[in-house]
Amino acid sequence: MGKTNEYKALNGINLNIHLNEVTVFRGPSGSGKTTLLSIIGCMARPTSGRIKFGEREISSLPERFLTEIRQKTFGFIFQQLNLIKGITALENVMLPSYPSGECYSSLKKRTMGLLDIFSIPDRAEAKVEWLSGGEAQRVAIARAMINNPAVIIADEPTAHLDSKLSKEFMGIMDLLKSEGKTVLIASHDPLIYESAIVDRIIDMRDGRIDGAMLS
Amino acid sequence: MIIHPSIIALFVSSLLVSFIVLYAAFYGLHILRKWDIQSGSELQLSLERKTYLISTFLNYILGFQLISLFLYLFVADHLHTFLVGAMCAAGSLYANDYGYPTLILKLINFLFVGVWLILNYTDNRADDYPLIKKKNLLLLIIAPLIVIETFSQGNYFLQLKPNIITSCCGSLFSNGNQSIRADIFALPINAMKTSFFLTMALTGISGLYFYFKGRGGYIFSGLSAITLVVSILSIFSFISLYIYEMPTHHCPFCVLQKEYGYIGFPLYLTLLVGAISGMGAGLTSSFKNIKSLADILPYIQKKLTFLSLALFTAFLIIVLYKMAFTNFTMEGYSM
Repeated sequence: MGKTNEYKALNGINLNIHLNEVTVFRGPSGSGKTTLLSIIGCMARPTSGRIKFGEREISSLPERFLTEIRQKTFGFIFQQLNLIKGITALENVMLPSYPSGECYSSLKKRTMGLLDIFSIPDRAEAKVEWLSGGEAQRVAIARAMINNPAVIIADEPTAHLDSKLSKEFMGIMDLLKSEGKTVLIASHDPLIYESAIVDRIIDMRDGRIDGAMLS
Repeated sequence: MIIHPSIIALFVSSLLVSFIVLYAAFYGLHILRKWDIQSGSELQLSLERKTYLISTFLNYILGFQLISLFLYLFVADHLHTFLVGAMCAAGSLYANDYGYPTLILKLINFLFVGVWLILNYTDNRADDYPLIKKKNLLLLIIAPLIVIETFSQGNYFLQLKPNIITSCCGSLFSNGNQSIRADIFALPINAMKTSFFLTMALTGISGLYFYFKGRGGYIFSGLSAITLVVSILSIFSFISLYIYEMPTHHCPFCVLQKEYGYIGFPLYLTLLVGAISGMGAGLTSSFKNIKSLADILPYIQKKLTFLSLALFTAFLIIVLYKMAFTNFTMEGYSM
């Protein structure tokens, strides 16, 4: 506060996000999209201001409560996918559920069910470095879904994908939306924000919201 | 000053505890004045982050404060070999004006810190800091007491000289003395025995009732406090006689020695922690109307009650064991 290198990544954000909708945060690099999604997803804390999920205030929670919320409420899909090399697709998807203590056979069954939905059950035992770009992306989405979160957060999910895979990604988001999930995507890819499944676009610039509109 | 590793350890650790508690109390004062959970201000969020950090390391540092009571007793007992006239911790503590006041302060702080740790544990189970002001208010009471204790303990060690002639426990804790101490040791043994077992029985019954029914918390809390007082008086009055197998030796410190199997340490530990847990279990009933604690509070109270009952039982078993398996009887010793 008051330091010479002070930088405000977000400023004056006042926003209500509707449940069961696909909301896209659109803006150039450095506009604060990733920071905002990180704060919403309890991956970072604001310097000031509050985030509420439903009636529950989540930005002031001590770490032990945040861990549970991150695990049960939010599923993350990262720009670089962040899959762990050296282990199989199956293990990558199961990993976020290990702390829950669920028995291995039941967890494996659920994981195979997810891989089946995303049409890659035959790649379950393949190490992630052997997967194609599209397969790796589906594994990343399955991993975000393994704890059955209410909200899926995707940060620039199509930045490294070609048009076909980007459309495929949006198809999967449509599927999740139809299941009642809330989807938040940070992107400046037209294939994302021009997609028919997007309910709301929020434009961001210099850490502020430029305006909100319905697509 | 007698230079000894355990004295240096107590000295340095007390300074560290005092420094950290004062630092925490400074923020505690800030929290009492500025805390507003409804606000999303930078100050409020900064306080929330700091309170979590501070309460985490206070947990450990105050945990050590609890242990320091026993370390102090251990050191005092060990020091008797350096002091002319001393036979146990009783004589060592009597060597200057700061020995016993430090012990009393450590006992008071033990109780306060125990209650603070229970409050902090309960507060940390809820996500909206429901006891934040209460625990920081208590911290503001504890902090000066710990600083005074450090000052008193420092003076005790600094003024401790091997050439001081002190008294032995035989002269300090015998029936023949004309003092308040002597009056305590001269308490009628049969009446004290009755009071002791009656208090233990009532505390046990009320604890079990509270554990299974979830009602009568304040009664259990009050009985736990009474059990603490009655048990300490009982140690002075008759339990010590069975341990020493002597009808006139009431010293509460010789029990800490190797000759008696260090039995004083488990005796005092089970009693003190049992009493604090029991008092805490009942006192937390006053938080039952706090919404965020509604689900977790009964679970915490059950845990505390179980701990208290288990420790009181352990204390009782030690006492009964010494009473049952001794060659010493008090038949014909009319008191």
